[in-house]
Parts: sequence; C-alpha cells; structure tokens
Amino acid sequence: MEQGDGSAAAAAEQQAGGAEEQQLAEDLLHRFERVLHSDPLIDEVGFLHPTQFNSLGCGQDGDSAPQALELQHGYFWCRDHKLAISAEILPKLYRAARDAYYSSRNAPLPATHLMSHTKALLILCPDMLTAWNSRKMVLLEKYDFTKLKDELQLCALILSYSPKNESTWSHRRWVLKQVAEQHQDMAELVEKESVLVKEIAERSKMNYRAWRHRCWLIPYMTRKQVLDELKKSTRWSELHVADNCCFHYRRSLLLALLDIRENREDSLSWESETYLLWKEELRWNEMLIRCYQGRESLWNHRRFLSQWWIQQLLAVEKTCPSMTSQVDLFIIQEIGLLSECLNDPVDEFEESHVQAELSALYILWISKQVPAVKGKLEERLHSVSIMGLKDVLVRACRPEKMRPWMNLLGLADPSQ
Amino acid sequence: MAELAADQHVRYIVTVEKKKDSFESLVMEHIRLNGAYWGLTTLDLLHKLHAVDAAEVVDWIMSCYHPESGGFGGNVGHDPHVLYTLSAVQVLCLFDRLDVLDIDKVADYVAGLQNEDGSFSGDIWGEVDTRFSYIALCTLSLLHRLHKINMQKAVDFVVSCKNLDGGFGAMPGGESHAGQIFCCVGALAITGSLHHIDRDLLGWWLCERQCKDGGLNGRPEKLADVCYSWWVLSSLIMIDRVHWIDKEKLAKFILNCQDKENGGISDRPDNAVDIYHTYFGVAGLSLMEYPGVKPMDPAYALPLDVVNRIFLRK
Repeated sequence: MEQGDGSAAAAAEQQAGGAEEQQLAEDLLHRFERVLHSDPLIDEVGFLHPTQFNSLGCGQDGDSAPQALELQHGYFWCRDHKLAISAEILPKLYRAARDAYYSSRNAPLPATHLMSHTKALLILCPDMLTAWNSRKMVLLEKYDFTKLKDELQLCALILSYSPKNESTWSHRRWVLKQVAEQHQDMAELVEKESVLVKEIAERSKMNYRAWRHRCWLIPYMTRKQVLDELKKSTRWSELHVADNCCFHYRRSLLLALLDIRENREDSLSWESETYLLWKEELRWNEMLIRCYQGRESLWNHRRFLSQWWIQQLLAVEKTCPSMTSQVDLFIIQEIGLLSECLNDPVDEFEESHVQAELSALYILWISKQVPAVKGKLEERLHSVSIMGLKDVLVRACRPEKMRPWMNLLGLADPSQ
Repeated sequence: MAELAADQHVRYIVTVEKKKDSFESLVMEHIRLNGAYWGLTTLDLLHKLHAVDAAEVVDWIMSCYHPESGGFGGNVGHDPHVLYTLSAVQVLCLFDRLDVLDIDKVADYVAGLQNEDGSFSGDIWGEVDTRFSYIALCTLSLLHRLHKINMQKAVDFVVSCKNLDGGFGAMPGGESHAGQIFCCVGALAITGSLHHIDRDLLGWWLCERQCKDGGLNGRPEKLADVCYSWWVLSSLIMIDRVHWIDKEKLAKFILNCQDKENGGISDRPDNAVDIYHTYFGVAGLSLMEYPGVKPMDPAYALPLDVVNRIFLRK
C-alpha cells in the first residue's frame, strides 16, 4: 500500500515536472514565434553555442535585464534583421514547434496558427517536407501575390544558412510556378532569382541544387535575358574557374540560344550573332585554360564548345567549300594548344602534369565525338612530331589510368 | 590492406536507432524510412538481418503507410512521397513481407504520379526529378506492376535528360551528376532500354570520377566521397565498363573511411561516420565482391538473393 502510494506520488511529481517542462518549452516557442513575427525582414539566422551567444550581451531586452528574464527570454537575440538562437535550447524548441504544428494541423484554428508554427519549425528543420506541404495548402486557398513573395523570403532566409536544402528549393519552385500561372511576365522575378543563386553560390561552392534552380529558370527567360545572363556570369566564372556548375550553366544558356529564334525573318543575323558568341566563348575559354593550369571544368567546357563548333564548320564546308578549310585551321590551333601543354617545362608543380593529361584527353575526346576529323587530327599530330593519339596518351596520362583510354582507342590488349 | 570491421558496423547500426535524443537525430526524424533502408540493407549484406525484430520493423513501416493515397511517409504522421515509398517496399522485400501490402493500391499511387511528358513527380505537389523516375520504375518493377504506366514515355523522358558529355542530370538540361546518372541508368536497365546509352562516352565520364586517392567523386572538381562508390560503380557495372576503374584503390579508400573501433563509415577518411555512408561503403565493397559481403544487384539496390527471390519465384 505504502509502496503504491509512494510510487504514485513519485509519478505525480514526475508528471508535474513534465508539465512544467512542457510549459517552459511552449513559452520558448511562443517567444520564438513572437520574435519572428515582430521582424518579418529577418535575413540571417545563426545557431550559437551558449558561450558565443552570451558574448552577444543580454539580448534585445538590454544589459540590465534581471536574471529571471534572461532565463525566459535570453535564448533569442535579434537586431538589424539578424537572429541568433542559443543552440542549447534547440532540441526543446524543435520538439515544441513540432508538437504545436501537429496539433494545429488538423485543428479548426485560423490558418495563421499553422503558418506561424510551420515557419518556426522549418527554420529549425527545413527538411520537414510535410510542414512545407501544409503551407502550400494554406497558400492555395486564395492567390495572394504578397503572401507568395513572403514565402520566397522565408525560403531565402533558410537557404542563407542551409543552401543545399532540397525541400526549400523545391518549395521555392512551387511558389514560382504559382506566380507564373497567374502572371505572364516573369522577367523581374527571374532576374531576382538569378541574383539569389549567384549570392548563394558565392558562399556554397559547386552547389548542385542552387545551380539546378538557375538552369530551371532558363525556359522562363527571354532571349535578351539569356544573353544578359551569359554576360553577367562571365566575371563570376573567371573568379571561380573550378566551379563546374557555372560552366554548365553557360552551356545551358548557349544551348537555349540555339533553341530560341524569336525573330524568324532575321535568321541570318541570328546565325552570325550565335556564331560570334561561340567564337568568343572559345577564345575566352582558351585564355582561362592558359591562366589556370590543370582545371578539369575549363577543359570540359572546351570539349563541349569545340564539338559543336567543329560540327558547325563541317556542315558549312559541306554546303559551300572554300579554299582554306576553317576546320583545318581550327585543328591546327587545337593541336598547337596541346603541344604547348605537353611540352610545358616539367616542374615541381603538379598542375602542369594535370594540364598535360587534360589536354591529351581533350584531343582524344574530339577524335571520338567527331570521328570525321580523326584523320586530320592524326595528321596534324605527326607534323608536330607526335606519333598519333596513343603517343599523346602515353606521354601525358598516369599509367594507372591508361586502361580506359586504350579501350576507347580500340588498342586494349584483349588478354587483359 | 585494412579489413572490413563488419562486427563493429553491425553494432553501430543496431545502436544508432537508440540514440534518439540529440538534435542531429531529431532533425532526421522525417527521413527515418530512408534510414531504415540504409541500415537494414547493410545488415543484410553483412548476413546479420536477424539482429533486428522483423515483425517490429514491418509493423512500424506499415504505420507510415497512407491507406487513402497508397504512399508512404518518411515517418509516422508525415506526408507520402515516392522517396519513402520505395524505401518501404525495399525493406519489405528484404524481409520477404510484400504480402502485407495492398500491392495495387501502392502501385496506383506511384503510377498516378506520372506526368504527360513521361516524367514522374515526387508527390502531389509536382516537383519533377529523374530520381523520381528511377524510384517509380524500381518500385513498380519490384511489385510486378510496370504495366500500369506508359513505359515508353517514361524512358523517353529519362533519355531527354542526357547531356553531351554522356551523363544525365536531374531534369532536361541539368548538369551531369553521378547520383542522377545512377538513377537514369537504373531506370533504363529496369525497363530494358540500355541501348539508349553511349556506353563508351558515359563510361568515360564515370571513370574520370576516380580521384588520386582512389575514391570516387560525383562531379568534376569535387572531392572523393564514399557514397559515390555506389552511384558510380553500380552505373559502370550496368553499362559493362567497371574494368575501367582501379578497384583495389577504391576498396582501400572505402576501408580507410571506417571507424574501426566504434563502427560506421564516413564520407572520407577521418570524418564523422553516419548510417548513409556506412550503407554506401558496404554496398560499394559488395559490388567489388569483397569477401564476406553478399552480392548486390546494381539496378534494384538490394542484395542479389532478395531480387532473385522476387523475380524468380513469381
């Protein structure tokens, strides 16, 4: 009996403790949501270690805040649209946000509750697909451009500290699609999106999801915008020569230009414009290859550019043959680049070795992708004293990597 | 060469389930079904699936099921998505318990997400990705329900995501990425459409993923990461070009990423381990026929004996 009473008392006490704990967590959440509500323009969030957090001072309540207030309020700090959250309360805050979200999901409450709880929850855990979906439901009730713009801002806030978050990018595209369905003119939005990706890509290198988003925007762009994007991303690429994503973006823009013939009567000037653009891209890429040795992304870009370029030149020569073959001239130039890279003085720097290997693989690539010029390539190699493609590979490639290249050339030892 | 610390990995997987209180585990709650697939497939590859209570796992999986839609959520109370539906089906395959499913209902959910152009959305909200094409085709194939979709269109969409470098991206025009390539090659393998691939060209791109340290990266200019051992290797096997990479160096790289004391495998040497990389490390070794590890099917991402049971029994 006594024992029973004792354990009941302990359980009751524990329950009371649990209830108190829960109340505390709810208060925290309430406070968090109030901070978010009071400054809708927050553009940065930091989750700080308690010692770091304390170095911010006593929070927005001021240095003179008494200890009790500190305990209740001192886990959030917000100034100049920057929000800091003390990392020690994250598990508690997350659970409170999650529980509040679950109970508001099916309750007959105004949608503002659901929006407030999901916002709090998603800032803590942006991967929570289900919470994003709840927001979509609310937003679908009535088209409201201002609300959709707020949604883009929430996504941007989360992406500022979680730039690879798949669910957030996906939600952002959903929002943009809602806008696109209502407004025909996407020009301004597309431009803003592009700037956002650029800024995120600065901080988060080779971010596949960010660049995917930028490529996804291309079909919404006008021809002029595509050209502007190409121009604007030139400088960025020069400063980030190892970022393959940006070069892929340029490839996508170039391919989009080939597809967009806005003014059909004007096809001659379209052709010459594209032609010039491509030629300039090749020149610019060669300049970068010479400046930055051994960059895979630059050579990959060249593979793409040259393949299309040679095919165009071949097509032109087929219809109107001329005295000097443009294809021959181009091949002379490319073999020139190769022999320069191969003959680069071997120094202690690894870059020159990598550069030689990449240049060799580039020539191999062209010979495979445009078989029509394979003979011309071999011929030209001989004139610079290189005994064919195999010789190029033997001279430039790491021995352990030779097997696929020999296979590709049909030179593999069948016994291997 | 270092050896596979199989017993430690088993212990790591079995205990990781119990550490639910850290913030890191809390924010993984929503993808618990994916985690279950990674952990349990690893256990099976190491011949230790019996270390967990099958009935308990199956019950929990079914508690993530949405009978109205036919899809699975990432955890109890979460919205359905194909990402979790495939994991649920795969785990049920491991335990040979597809009988608990209303197979047509689940297949209808997946088939209903096919779009006019042949692509698949991940859920009712319409995001399209070649990952979802693979997931849909893999799920439907495991359930013997591929006839519920327009296969030709599904294949055409995947093919439309092929790039000039031979690789595939997440959408038409998307950058080539080893993970997306696995999905596209897997989708084409499952539908018997591998003839759409230029094997030499794709094999070239894939074998260029091997870095100096022996590990594989997922894209040009990136560091090697254990998870690409699976994505790249399985793709190379499906297109019959796996002899183009140095397997010994790759195996060494994976084994160097183990925490030999406490178990688990990390993305690269000396980093913190997690269940995701533990699975991909062991799966990569399986593809290289590492002794003591069950062989894995490169398209279905399940142990070969499990896949055989599904397709040979029928």
